Amino acid sequence: MLDLTKGQFVKHVVTHPFEGFEDLRWKKGGSMRIAFFIVCLLFIQQVAYSRLYGFQYYSDYDKIFNIVPYIFKSFIIFGTWVVANWAMCTLFDGEGTMKNIFINSAYALVPYIAGYLIGTVMSHFLIKDEYVFIQSIEIIGTCWSFILLISGIKAVHQFSFGKTIALMLLTIAAMVAILFLLVLLLTLFQQVIIFILSIYTELSYRFRV
Amino acid sequence: MSGLKKLTSLISAAALSISVLAVNTSALETYDPYSYDRWGDAVASQAGYTAEKYVDGNTIGCGALNEPADLFISHDELMYIADKGNNRIVITDLDFNFKKEMKEFKYSDSMVKEITIDDNALSDSLEENTIPLEAGDYVLVYDKSSSKFDVLTKTGAKTQAKIEERFVKISGTVGISGGDRIPIYFDGTSPTATGGMSATLAKPTGVYVDQYTGYVYICDTENDRVIKCDTEGNIDRLFGKPTDALYDQSLTYNPSKVLVDKAGNVYVVVKSQTKGAVMFNSQGEFLGFYGANRVEQTAEVLANAFWDLISTAEQRDRSTKQTPIGFSNFDIDDDGFIFTVTDSQETTTDLVKKLNPRGDNILDSLGAADMTFGDIPPAYYSIYAKNSSLTDIDLGPNGELNILDFQHGRIFQYDKECWLLFIVGGKGNQLGLFESATAIESYDNHLYVVDSIKDNITIFTRTIFGEIVTEAANLYNDGLYEESLEPWQNVLKYDGNYRRAYIGIGNALYNKYEYEEAMEYFEISISRDRYNRAFEGYRDLWLKANYMKCIIVIVILVILGFVYKHFRKKGKIVYPWERRRRKGGV
Repeated sequence: MLDLTKGQFVKHVVTHPFEGFEDLRWKKGGSMRIAFFIVCLLFIQQVAYSRLYGFQYYSDYDKIFNIVPYIFKSFIIFGTWVVANWAMCTLFDGEGTMKNIFINSAYALVPYIAGYLIGTVMSHFLIKDEYVFIQSIEIIGTCWSFILLISGIKAVHQFSFGKTIALMLLTIAAMVAILFLLVLLLTLFQQVIIFILSIYTELSYRFRV
Repeated sequence: MSGLKKLTSLISAAALSISVLAVNTSALETYDPYSYDRWGDAVASQAGYTAEKYVDGNTIGCGALNEPADLFISHDELMYIADKGNNRIVITDLDFNFKKEMKEFKYSDSMVKEITIDDNALSDSLEENTIPLEAGDYVLVYDKSSSKFDVLTKTGAKTQAKIEERFVKISGTVGISGGDRIPIYFDGTSPTATGGMSATLAKPTGVYVDQYTGYVYICDTENDRVIKCDTEGNIDRLFGKPTDALYDQSLTYNPSKVLVDKAGNVYVVVKSQTKGAVMFNSQGEFLGFYGANRVEQTAEVLANAFWDLISTAEQRDRSTKQTPIGFSNFDIDDDGFIFTVTDSQETTTDLVKKLNPRGDNILDSLGAADMTFGDIPPAYYSIYAKNSSLTDIDLGPNGELNILDFQHGRIFQYDKECWLLFIVGGKGNQLGLFESATAIESYDNHLYVVDSIKDNITIFTRTIFGEIVTEAANLYNDGLYEESLEPWQNVLKYDGNYRRAYIGIGNALYNKYEYEEAMEYFEISISRDRYNRAFEGYRDLWLKANYMKCIIVIVILVILGFVYKHFRKKGKIVYPWERRRRKGGV
């Protein structure tokens, strides 16, 4: 039973929202490499969504291109989710390791990424009146991913449904805290760098005279 | 394919614009001509108007002007300059040859009402007096107790009217005996007891000539009245401060601008009045206020609206009221629509309005109510990081809006659909720049701008570039998209940054069913809705042309799918990653 390769497990998990992750856990079918590939796809999807969308739809200021927001929207948000979830699950006696949380969360993102990529492609063939088709695909993808995420987190920690939801809410709270601390840290380092730089400038002026 | 084409067209457009830039008049302008792109960023452009010369009082031949405040070009091609500091109206022809000046005004006979005052009829109490009056009459009455004249007014259309209101008290005493006939002049606000059949101006700031009747309307600002007279200076009527209860008597009445509509209704801008223009009918009766601005929705306004909900009526009376900013200037077009501008740097609401006779802003329905008029901050071309303060508006011959920005000394010309055409002028001492631009007027292809510090009038003439853009915009606005194609292409030869030209060309191509080219132009001009329409047409044409091919491709794909499934089931197709797993695993 279920003699699947790691690649086939992705399809199995995505198409079986309720027992897919249990099977994955039981068979140890998850692959870090595929998971990381999916996160990279998430990044590509974010860039494609705002830069490669059909001209008639998007209205972003496109004179400049800044990659940082896209990195933030994919890698950093996902990374924070995994870390925060792992940190929170210890309070709930969850069984998941960081690696498994990473794999399950990444696998759960597949319908979301696929939905938006398909939408991006479709936006080159459809006019504005037909946006509802694109929109429905994107919404279905997002909802599907959300269900998979609940199922994945539930499976990786072996939680009940209610506990999973509680954990996810707490995870979001923890993410906010982590990001806030990160910003704080960044500004602090900025201050330190400015301080060191100003000392250097001052000294360089002194020694020149 | 289209990408490469687009690139080459862009490069050629840019190269053209640069090569033309070197020989164009813009190099001669005293300011950097600029325009705005789709994102509201300032981009270099070509000058639509060039400053030709300026005229002052000495060139006109009427003596130096002193703080000229307004300029009006009448239907019979005469210029009326409100020379505020010299208390006169200077009239010249279009070449600024002096015609005459208006300084003294005569009361017409119909305005003088002679009544016989019977000494016995004048009682001590004025309230008990009844005097035969007609609607709109002003009556000078001698008050026995104080030995002074009182001017009384009554608006009721009765022959026997009870005097209810005193109008203005006159200082100075005049001897009078019963039975004397007293000429009564109604001068609105400051009649002199000794009479005198003439009136003079005090700081006139506005002048208007009614093209239907030929009457001149002058805002005699410091005398608190609007004078309606003929060109000889014979006063026909005076529009003083309304005595109606609707008009808050505690507010001053210093009319600053005036205009008249087809029906002869008179609209007066009063600076202290925030309810809109004061409106009179041709008989001088106060009709009400016209076209008030709205209060800008700020957080404070919303907070006050909330507190008003829960506070008592007494508290509400004591709280501060939000009043809109009254508009500062206006102009009327041939269809009777009144355009207003509001001179405010703090607000963005209702800075420019187009009012229908009911006083509704119909720029709303044009979708232009939320448009930014004047400079879009932050414009890197502007020296001052300040918002525009729009001080005058004028309607050109094709319905262009010429809006004068006092803050930056700039003229913003929009076409009748409120598309920005040109930005002209700036702040400074040179020709074409202004210290204190107060009024703008246009005629044919000229713009006239009054500067009240330099005491002169600058004359701008449309450049070749300006002519082409105007021609193209007029054709475009008349719906003649295909005819406007060539002018728009000429515009691009002068200025590759001119976004409107790309839209114009795109629309012309769209109307010719050349959807693919139209899409390119709409993409350059970043107008997505138009692109969407062109794309729809392009797609329809493509589908019609390739209908059979599409069917064949779909059929082949379906067959291939079945074949693939068949072989996959039999295990003939095994992917490398599956193979590796089977070798290494299990």
